[in-house]
Amino acid sequence: MMLWRQFVMEWRLYSRDRVAMFWTMAFPVLLLLGFGTMFRDGGGPRLSLVRVLPQSPSPSDAALGKALVDLQLNVQTLSKAEAESRWSRGETAAQLEPAGAGYRLRLNSYLMAQAGATAGLVNQAYLMAQARLSGAPEPQRIPIQMESPGHKRSASYVTFLLPGLLGLNLVSMGLFSVGMVNVSYREKGKFRRLAVTPLPKWIFLLGQVLHRLTVTVVQAGILLLVGRLAFGIQNQGSFLDLLLIMTLGTGCFMAFGFALSGFAETSEGYAALSNLVFFPLMMLSGVYFTLDAAPAWLQHTVALLPLAPFIRALRAVFNDGASLAGHVLGLAIVGAWALAAFLLAVRRFRWA
Amino acid sequence: MSTPSLRIRGLRKAFPRVLAVDGVDLEVARGEVFGLLGPNGAGKTTTLEIIEGLTAADSGTIEILGLTWEIHGQEIRSRIGVQLQSTSLFNKITPREALDLYGSYYPKRRSTAELLALVQLEEKADAYHITLSGGQQQRLALALALVNDPELVFLDEPTTGLDPQARRSLWDVVRRMKGEGRTVVLTTHYMDEAEALCDRLAIMDRGQVIATGTPASLISDLAMPSVVELTFEGMAPDSSAFAARLGQAVEPRADLWEIRTPDPKALLPRLLEAAEVGDVPFQQVHIRRATLEDVFLQRTGRSLRE
Repeated sequence: MMLWRQFVMEWRLYSRDRVAMFWTMAFPVLLLLGFGTMFRDGGGPRLSLVRVLPQSPSPSDAALGKALVDLQLNVQTLSKAEAESRWSRGETAAQLEPAGAGYRLRLNSYLMAQAGATAGLVNQAYLMAQARLSGAPEPQRIPIQMESPGHKRSASYVTFLLPGLLGLNLVSMGLFSVGMVNVSYREKGKFRRLAVTPLPKWIFLLGQVLHRLTVTVVQAGILLLVGRLAFGIQNQGSFLDLLLIMTLGTGCFMAFGFALSGFAETSEGYAALSNLVFFPLMMLSGVYFTLDAAPAWLQHTVALLPLAPFIRALRAVFNDGASLAGHVLGLAIVGAWALAAFLLAVRRFRWA
Repeated sequence: MSTPSLRIRGLRKAFPRVLAVDGVDLEVARGEVFGLLGPNGAGKTTTLEIIEGLTAADSGTIEILGLTWEIHGQEIRSRIGVQLQSTSLFNKITPREALDLYGSYYPKRRSTAELLALVQLEEKADAYHITLSGGQQQRLALALALVNDPELVFLDEPTTGLDPQARRSLWDVVRRMKGEGRTVVLTTHYMDEAEALCDRLAIMDRGQVIATGTPASLISDLAMPSVVELTFEGMAPDSSAFAARLGQAVEPRADLWEIRTPDPKALLPRLLEAAEVGDVPFQQVHIRRATLEDVFLQRTGRSLRE
């Protein structure tokens, strides 16, 4: 009963702060619209190649050109000077230019993923063009098929992006907004009056967590709706599973925020502390790159962090329509972190 | 008599740079309005916050309604009412909501309507806290302190920063609390407030209680409970020659001299004679009873307002 009142009051006060509410709801939607528009075309960004032609193109140059297009490469033909300046700006992943009697392929070492994939296609195109010129049968190609890790052929980059956005948004809300608000309210003495009442700390904290949890669910709902209306992205799995994962994840990262806020005296201190936690969590959780090359002990440690299993389960359900069965261990890890963080939060919480 | 509302022994609290409370003993009887009077920084608020359980003491014992924090924390919280020196609520909560919410924390509660009427906030019941005036916020804080129908109420500088009219109406609320049989412990640095409201007082200075008693007894216990004042037009002149002639201490204030005495009747002729001889250009002579201000002054050598 006390908890319910606390929860209702949190919502009521929150709904009166229109500006904050608008931005909380609007920000992830804007992000989605922005990225979604950028990567709208089909299966993610197409591979592109900058081509520099010799002064007088030969039949073999023309044959190679056709073969490149046949292999779906996005070829941009530029003069040597134009190509060089584009290269210097760092915008080119791969550049094909004449060298002696043949060709040379320059790959941008900063864009290895794209450059490597392009290089493979260029070499294939070269073999294809050679065969066509000499009248020999075209070399056999191993067929390529684009597919998401969950075996969905239609899954585009935006589809991949949406659950990531949901997850990221929730983590940053937990670590940054919730914890920060908590510290700044404590700094301003907004909790002191509560300290002299019999209200237990855990009810106060749980009320806040539940409030934030429902805010996040509403927010996620809006994001999913926009994703569906603007980009036709559909949740492939069950909404109940999605809700379960979101609830668990939100609870976990909110509790993280509250726990951290117990360790900072001032908002400035909290800003530093939360970044200290956020970036390793982010970097080590396989959101940006895989940790295959990292030492084994690090991989084992990282496997116990909550962010990666959370995002993985979210994507599996949302993008690939997987069931939760394969993610029980991962979700158990998230749940364990949530409980531990909440207990720590209650322990460290100070009214003033 | 039953157990006292509050019994404190040897309370001590040091902060990194200052010894805030230095061995305070207090005893407050049930139904009493008890005041802690002293200048800013005397340790009143720290003492109160230790009693309220907001700050931990370094040493000393506290008994509240016969209970102790170590064993009966929750019970104490539900039986006392607290007004903090500044009550910072959420900006967009209304008085009605705040009273409902805080009331819900207690096993026993008074109705919101009754409390709003008590502090005359009915008209502002649904206005956001941030839009209330200082006096209205203070009245709401007072109502919050009464939300659980407490036996013992702590008020920390309840009228600081209020205009005279708002102060009077707050005094009325405090008197009504006493009428309802509650014990009230308040801090103030206004001697008129202490005199008007309190049954008994403890005067605090530099973390210590320097005197305890009823306002009247504190004054009448003074060695020199009367004060003769010579007022001047403009600044008071140097008083040392006059003091030497009179054979008595003369304390210069901005535009007057104060001479303390146990017996104004005997002093007056000598004083007028000395003034005549010294050609002192005074305007008027006043004889007044000493105030709590004088009590503080005589015990510490400093003014309460400094």
